[in-house]
Amino acid sequence: MPTDLDIWLHIIYGFLHDISVAVYLGGAVAMEFVLGPAQGSIPPAQAQVMGQKTADRFLWLVWGSLSLIIITGLLRLEHMNMLSWTEWPFFKTPGGLSADYGQTLLVMILLWCVLIINGALITFYFRPRLQGKVSSRTSAAQLTAVQQSKMDAATWVQRITRIDLVVVLFVALCGASLKWGGLL
Amino acid sequence: MDTLLGALHAIAWATYVGGAITMEWVLRYAQQTMPGSQVGIVCKNAGMRYRWLALACLIVIGITGGLLLLRLDASGLPGRDLSLSDSYGRTMLLLVITWAGGLATVLSMAFWLHPAQRKRSLPEMTAEQVAAERQRVGRAIARMDKALKFELVLAVFSIGLGASLGAGGLI
Repeated sequence: MPTDLDIWLHIIYGFLHDISVAVYLGGAVAMEFVLGPAQGSIPPAQAQVMGQKTADRFLWLVWGSLSLIIITGLLRLEHMNMLSWTEWPFFKTPGGLSADYGQTLLVMILLWCVLIINGALITFYFRPRLQGKVSSRTSAAQLTAVQQSKMDAATWVQRITRIDLVVVLFVALCGASLKWGGLL
Repeated sequence: MDTLLGALHAIAWATYVGGAITMEWVLRYAQQTMPGSQVGIVCKNAGMRYRWLALACLIVIGITGGLLLLRLDASGLPGRDLSLSDSYGRTMLLLVITWAGGLATVLSMAFWLHPAQRKRSLPEMTAEQVAAERQRVGRAIARMDKALKFELVLAVFSIGLGASLGAGGLI
């Protein structure tokens, strides 16, 4: 059992970082290939409620894990003396852009930004459109337009979720490659 | 080759552990809002898919982990040793044991705990037999619940063990 606080910090940062990536990646896979198809086994009205409940809950996991990924990632880099908060350009060798390691890190951070943008689009733009309620005074034409808008939003949420899945798989590949000096 | 094996190993672990957490945190929550009859259908469908996904992940973890271990040389273990006299070796052994525990749990879910939840009801059954059958299924569901929680704890603990390897091991 390690006795040095420094080693414990290294283990704790690593554990939190790995578990956050696992929650994001494994959660996306489970939502796409386990819970999504399971929804199809119950009547559509109930499936819609289930989809809403699972998505609400999963979004908490998504935002929690995305936050922990960047916080623990930066803390790990600082702990390994690859990052300084005070000295420009912040990243030190081999985290600098001159090395494969640094270029791979940069790609991972950029892809994390893509995941954040996609997450924000789903949470703040498409999900509210999916949840929009129709009042009893809505005309038939308005109802058709609302339904079409909901279907478009659902299609976009599905597309973005699949893009996220591909992105996070590539991020995992980049992360695993860091042990051998980077991918790029 | 090492990068590819490492990536496959990491992705399989992430899918397995993240899937287990999502099933517990997301599906269990959604179940509470569903009618009882539909909970059974969704659990059966999702449970079956999850078990095969988990089994596939654990097999990939075993194969890639074994290959990575075989390819490990002194340069990959600076100042470390795979023997039981070193923390790295002991942690690696414990990781293999937790992997085996996870595999045994998923296999028991697939081939024993899940089939045991099927209710047998025949027209010639007496009221006592129906009640006994209901109790048996209830016990099978409780066992499955315990197995899922045990699997989740084991999976999260494995990530902790894996993370500690970079710092030389945990025990």
